[in-house]
Formats: sequence, structure tokens, C-alpha cells
Amino acid sequence: MAKTIMIVDDSASLRQVVSIALKGAGFEVIEACDGQDALSKLNGQKIHLIISDVNMPNMDGISFVREAKKLPNYKFTPVIMLTTESQEAKKQAGQAAGAKAWVVKPFQPAQMLTAVSKLILP
Amino acid sequence: MNMEQALQTYIEESRGLLEEMEGILLRIENEARHDADDINAMFRSAHTIKGSAGLFGLDAIVSFTHVVENALDKVRDGALEISGGLVELLLKCCDHIGLLIAAVPNGNGELDAAQAADGDALLAMLRRMLGAEPAEAAVPAMHEAGVACSGGGPLDGDCWHISLAFGRDVLKNGMDPISFIRYLSTIGDIVSVVTDDSALPELGAMDPESCYLAFSIEFKSEADKKTIEDAFEFVRDDCKLRILPPPSHLSAFVERLEHASGNTDMLGQLLIEAGILTDHELEEALAAQARAVAADCSSRPSIGEMLVKEGVVQKEVVDVALEKQRQIREHKAQEAKFIRVNAEKLDELINLVGELVIAGASASLRARRSGDVALLESTSAVSSLVEEIRDGALKLRMVEIGETFSRFQRVVRDVSKELGKDIGLEISGAETELDKTVVEKIGDPLMHLVRNAMDHGIEPAGARAASGKPARGTLRLNAYHDSGSIVIEVADDGGGLNKEKILHKAIEHGVVAPGQALTDQEIYNLIFEAGFSTADKVTNLSGRGVGMDVVKRNIQALRGTVDIDSEPGRGATVRIRLPLTLAIIDGFLVGVGESAFVVPLDMVLECVELPEADRRLAETRNYINLRGEVLPFVRLRDEFEIKAPPGKRENIVVVQYGGQKAGFVVDELLGEFQTVIKPLGSVFRHLKSISGSTILGTGEVALILDVPALLQLGVARDGQMLAHERDRAGFGAYEVSADLTGE
Amino acid sequence: MNIRVQRENGISRLKMEGELTIYQASEIRQELIGHLADCDEMEIDLADVVEMDTAGCQLLLAAKHEGLQQGKSVRFVSHSQAALEIIDLFQMAAQFGDPLLIPAQR
Repeated sequence: MAKTIMIVDDSASLRQVVSIALKGAGFEVIEACDGQDALSKLNGQKIHLIISDVNMPNMDGISFVREAKKLPNYKFTPVIMLTTESQEAKKQAGQAAGAKAWVVKPFQPAQMLTAVSKLILP
Repeated sequence: MNMEQALQTYIEESRGLLEEMEGILLRIENEARHDADDINAMFRSAHTIKGSAGLFGLDAIVSFTHVVENALDKVRDGALEISGGLVELLLKCCDHIGLLIAAVPNGNGELDAAQAADGDALLAMLRRMLGAEPAEAAVPAMHEAGVACSGGGPLDGDCWHISLAFGRDVLKNGMDPISFIRYLSTIGDIVSVVTDDSALPELGAMDPESCYLAFSIEFKSEADKKTIEDAFEFVRDDCKLRILPPPSHLSAFVERLEHASGNTDMLGQLLIEAGILTDHELEEALAAQARAVAADCSSRPSIGEMLVKEGVVQKEVVDVALEKQRQIREHKAQEAKFIRVNAEKLDELINLVGELVIAGASASLRARRSGDVALLESTSAVSSLVEEIRDGALKLRMVEIGETFSRFQRVVRDVSKELGKDIGLEISGAETELDKTVVEKIGDPLMHLVRNAMDHGIEPAGARAASGKPARGTLRLNAYHDSGSIVIEVADDGGGLNKEKILHKAIEHGVVAPGQALTDQEIYNLIFEAGFSTADKVTNLSGRGVGMDVVKRNIQALRGTVDIDSEPGRGATVRIRLPLTLAIIDGFLVGVGESAFVVPLDMVLECVELPEADRRLAETRNYINLRGEVLPFVRLRDEFEIKAPPGKRENIVVVQYGGQKAGFVVDELLGEFQTVIKPLGSVFRHLKSISGSTILGTGEVALILDVPALLQLGVARDGQMLAHERDRAGFGAYEVSADLTGE
Repeated sequence: MNIRVQRENGISRLKMEGELTIYQASEIRQELIGHLADCDEMEIDLADVVEMDTAGCQLLLAAKHEGLQQGKSVRFVSHSQAALEIIDLFQMAAQFGDPLLIPAQR
């Protein structure tokens, strides 16, 4: 049974690239364009990993993670946050919200796969 | 620091390392024993030459030195015995590496085809000694050379040891140890996992969402420590992680430590540079250190202690790192003591000091003329300071002769092999200093003398045994200071010079007239005449009859002299006497008519007035009776064809050089004078009796007398004159010379 | 996760069905405590465990320890692929007890 990863980012192209890479590695992928969209898609189904951008319209990544962690089905779901080098303060806020893994933008698809494979296997 | 300069540094560094290797090899051969330090030192030298060559992409050096390094490694491990043959081969390899390095500035260290073939032949021999390793395996790909870890071989005990104690909350954060351990298996082989559940509480007391497990993992991987640590990057703050390198890596670590760049003398940075410690581990250890200090101000555990205590790094490795740290600090301290200065800058300084001396002399002269006492005092104070500056500046260019001498270790070794003689070299006075320019030029003449002494001086073993000498011949190089000169001796304990043979040959060649009376010294010195060789057997080393005269010419060009002492059956000593410096001398100023001359002060013995009686006599003969001694003299007025008539009084400046005394007849004695030598232009090169010129304070030019040349000239002329007299009077040479020495 | 229980002569046979992960851990722990108290011997069938993580693994270990402490044998039988994978990865066959794995390997 393939594992499912949710990718939340307002950039469609980024979602696409990541999702192509993840699907290629054998994962199922659910895409969401912001925090609100993502929350609405957390409808109880099993999700093994969430990859989320920080800065997004409607609901930012940190708020989204905080909300997601309140849901019983997702409270232990690992989260990779996408960030830029300079967001140290955001990083701490994210950690407090429950996102322990970080990948710095810009990244190569292979880097993302490496990060993912440290957390879950297909 | 640009790449070009870094390359220059590499070339110098490598030469130094090669010399060190050569020195050790020669010592091993001489003393027929060696210790582990010797081999280690050689290995390190080869390793460093190779490693740094890699940085510059000097592939030829990398691949050649790699095989040498392999050989030394085997010697180090005891797998290869160090034999005479191997020493010989390694010495040749040193030479070849030297060639490769010499070829670096033009053409990236590539040699021409013939030299490259020699190199291949050496490698082939070396590989045979190594036990026929296939060539491809022995020559590494460039990139392999410097790369991190070499582990991952089939050996047991070749595993990384990873211990992992997870924080309680990792599971809640979605981080599962299973994932990390699985990830590890993508970068290596997990050999074994021991799961420690001892922290697991009772079922009733446990928080089922907390993690209580700890793991210790034996992990086989080619990856470096950083890569392994990165597997845990997302739980790094939530777990206690210890990654210990495989025991087989220890030596590699130690080696890398030993070759640390020296950019840092901080222990932690050293370990990181060598790939032993990761940044994260260092941060943790530093934090632990700070905590320890905060807890107990009186003790401050070193970072090394912390690392060992926390099990981050093995004690052995820390010990090596500490040693390296000590070395680097020592090196830094030494660097602080010495600075490298461009030789050109130094020459410029010396030049300026020269000008300063002249300007100072000019000021003194004017002060003296003005008769202003206060001014005189100040100028004399300035003069004495200038004198100190001059001496100091000249000392900057002084180098010890030891380095030049020790180069002959190799020469003596090679030549004695070539000649089939057993000859050892003894060096003394290595710390004697002389001017760098002189050192540079003395190498060739010395080489000739050394070869000559080994070839002709020291007898074959059979002859030595017959005369009851030890079978091993001894060649001695010695240096010392003597009245403003440096004396360099090349002595052998051979048979000494054969007086009769020399004389016979000299007569045969027409250098000496038959029946001419000569002192032993004079006879011996005949070997410095052109076309002179007394060896019965012409070897390819010397004996071609060119050489000793060339030696003499070279030394004279340095304003030096050479003579030889010999004791039949006991050996011969060639003595080279050179000025300490070529730039400035203390001079004695004399006047003849309107002209001024400078006599190097250290050769001046005394000045006497030429008595009236002698003045008259001196018109017919060129010697006077000085307190019962015969003192030949040269009239500078005649020598330099000065038209002005002599003054009422004439003086004789008595000079001594190389055991010979003579006088110069001058008009006026003008006193001591610091003389900056300005070389004569090439137009005046042929002037034998002048070694240079200088500018007086008044702006006039004074000529510096070449005392040795003048003495010879005088003696030669005396000889001719005496011979002439002898012919006229029908005297035998013996009586004439009795007349000369008898008074 | 659904746990079906059969009792027979003081032996409780538990059959676990579904996921044995951190999400179910609290709930399962409670059940295990309850069932263990009620029996002299416990056999847990893992054949239908479709997913197991570290939390699940810990829980099983804790149950076994607990049994030992109470003098009750706690056995695991018919390990599913998911269960075996993690036991293998942690190389914990010894802790889980040799005889327990043999049936699964047959």
C-alpha cells in the first residue's frame, strides 16, 4: 500500500515538480495550494507526511501545521517545512507548532526525496 | 595568496621534504639501522608531497609519489624490509620527484619522454619490491587520493559504531526511529542493531506515545561521518547521537590529522578538518564544556577531555590531534621568529645602506674640514650608527654554510659508490655564516674539490690497509671565521700530494723551470695551475686536467684564494679563503699623487714610512728589510702609471694575505674608510689588480686594490726579475732564494 | 485497530487487526493492561497487523515485560509481514522470544 504525502504550496509549478518526484519514488500525492485548502483536504484519510511551505495566502504554513496537529488523525504526522535560509524565527515558530523537519529552498527534487526518505519509506 | 604563490609554496615545501627524506635515507645507509620515526617521517613526506600535488592537479607527481608512499607504507607495516637496494632505489625516486617538482613551474610537472621513461623504470622496480602489484591498482585516480574515508573493506571491525538514544517526544513529532535506521541502509550496510529497551517502563506507567528505545548500530559504509550524521538531521536536537568511526579508519584519521593544513590550531577545528568531528558534535561538546565550567569554576575541562568523556572521539585520535596542535603552535611560533623576505628587497636595502655610508662619509669629511667641533661630534655619532646599520644589514644576508655542506652527504655517498671506495663525510663548522651570494657561488668549486679529494686523495681500500689506515676513508668539510674572511677546508685522510710527481709534471709542462727552488707549499699549489693532473689513471670524475685551475679562478672571482697543505701519507687539506661579504668592506684609504686607493683593512698589518735609505735602494730592488724580514713591495705609482712625482715622503702599507706579506708603496696614508664596493664595469674586467671602485665623500672615485692579485703580480715579477738577475749573474736558483730568505 | 479476545482455561488469545501505531497506542495499552489482569497466560496473534511502528513495537515489548513480572507468559504468534519487518530491523527477535517467531517462519 503506497504511502500518501500531502504537498502544500501556493506555487503550482513547485507542487508539480515535487509531486512528479514523489510519485516517481512510489508515493501517492495530494496537492493543496494553501493552508486552508490543505486543512479542507485532511478529511480523515491516512496521510504519512505533510510537506508545507511557510508563506502562503489565506493560511500560512505554521498556522496550518498547528491546526493539523490538533486533528486526531494527523497529530503524529511528520511535517517537512519548506523555508529559506533567513527565516530563523519562522523556523522556531514552526518547530513549536510541530514541524521538526526543514528543507531549504531552493532545492533539487533529489534533495527533497532524500529528506522524505529519512522520515518515511514508500 | 593566489594560486601561483600557493604553488610556489608547494614547490619549496616539497623540496624541503625531499631533502629531509634524502637525509634520513643517507643516515639509514650510513648507520645501517633505522627506527620507526625515520620511516614515519619519510612516509609523511611522501604523503604530503602527493596530497598537495593533488590540490594543484599535478597528476604526474601524484601517481609517481603514490607508489613511493605505498612502498614506505609497507616498510612501516613491516611488510617490506628496508635494504641497501631499497634505500638506493628510494634515493633515486627522491631525485625523480625532485625532477618532477622542478618541472612544475613550466609545464605542470610533466617531464620529457626520456625522463618519464626513467620514472617508469623506477616505478617498475619499486613495484617489483612491493610484490608485483598490478600497475593500475597502484596508481590511484587523482580524486581518490584526498577523499574522505577509505573504509568499507571486507575486514571485520570495519564498521562505524552509531549509538542512538532518542528523546521521548520523537514519536509524537512524527519521527520514527524505524525510518532513520531504514534510511541508513540506503547509504551502507547495517551489520547489526542492538535495541536497548531497558528504559521502557512498566506497561501501566508508560506513555505509549513516548519513545523509550535506544540503539547501537554497527554500520558498514563508505560514507563520511557528516553524511552519516545527516541521516539524523531531523532528530538531531531530539536524540543523543554518537558516531564512532571504524577502527580501520583510525589510522586514516590519524594520518589526516597529521597532514592538517595548519590553518587552525584549535583542537575542535582540527578534528573537523580531518573529518573526525562534525560541527554539531563540536557545538555540543563546547556547550557541555561551558556547562561544566559553570558548575565548577575551579576546573576547566579541555575540549579534548570533553570529547573523549562524551564518547564522541576516541582517545587515541584526540591524542594525535593534541600533538598536531602542539606542532602547529610551535610552527606558528617559529614563523613568528622568522619572516621570509624577498632577496631583491634585501639587496636594495644593502644598496641603500651603501649609499648611506658614502653620504655619511661625505658629511664627516665636510665636518672635519669645517672644524666645527659640535658638528664633528654629531657626524661621528651618525657614523657609528651608520656603521651599526651597515653591519646589521649585512648580517641579514648571512646564511649558515651548513646547508651547502650537508648537500655533500649525498655527493660523497654517490661518488664513493661510483669509485668503489668506502668514504665517510665529516662536517664541522656548519653554523659558520657567510654572505648568501658567496654561498651560492661556492657550491661548484667545493663540488670539484670534494670529488677530487675522493678520487685522487683517498687511496683504494687495499692501499689504505697496507699503510695501516682504517679501510673507511674520511673526508672532512670544515668552516670557520678568520680575520674578516671565512675559511672553508676540504680535507682528506688519503695519501697526500706527491711532491716529486707534481714537480716532475710541472717541469714537463714548463710551468716551472728545471732546478727552480720551490717551497713545499709552492709545489703543492702548482696543482692549481692550468692543465695539471697527476693522476695516473684518468677517471670520469676528475683527472681530465681541467678542474683545479677552474676552481682557483672561480674562487678568485669571489675575491678569495685557495691553497693546499699536504702531509705525505696523512692526507691533504684544501683551504679556501673568502671575504665574508661582497658588498662593503672596511677600507684603508691611501693616496698616490692625486689618486686614491683603498686597501681592505683586514689585510693591513701596519704602515711604516719608507726610510730614505730604502727609498734609494728601492729604486733597484723591490724589497726592503723590515725588522729583519724580507718584505717585497709593489710601488702603486709604477703599477698604475701615475705621472705625478713622488712626494717628499713615501709610506709602505704592509699587508698580509694567505700567509704572505707584502708592502704597497704609497705617498699618503689617509686613514680608515668604510668602503662600499661598486663593481667595475665589464670594460675594466681585465684589470687584474683592481677589484672594484668606491666613491669618496668628496665625490671622487677611489680604486679598491685587489691585494691577492697584486701580491701575485709582485711575486711573479720578483720571480722574473730574480731569474733575470740569476741568468745574468749565473747564480743558481738556490743561492738566490737563500738570499731572499736568509736576511 | 480491533482486538478480538478468546478466553480458554485462563489463556487469553488476542487477535490484533489493523494498525498498531502511535495513533492507537494509548487505546491498545489500556486493553492490554485489562486483558493481562484477567488471564494466566496470553497469546497475541499478529497475523492481521497491517502496519506497526516504534510505538507499537514498544507496546508489545512492555506487555511481555509486564507478563514476566506478573509471572504470566505472553507470547506472540503468526507475525504479519509488517510486524516481522520492524522486529527484524530492530533485531529484537531475542527480546520477543525465539519460540514466538518460529511459528511465523515455518
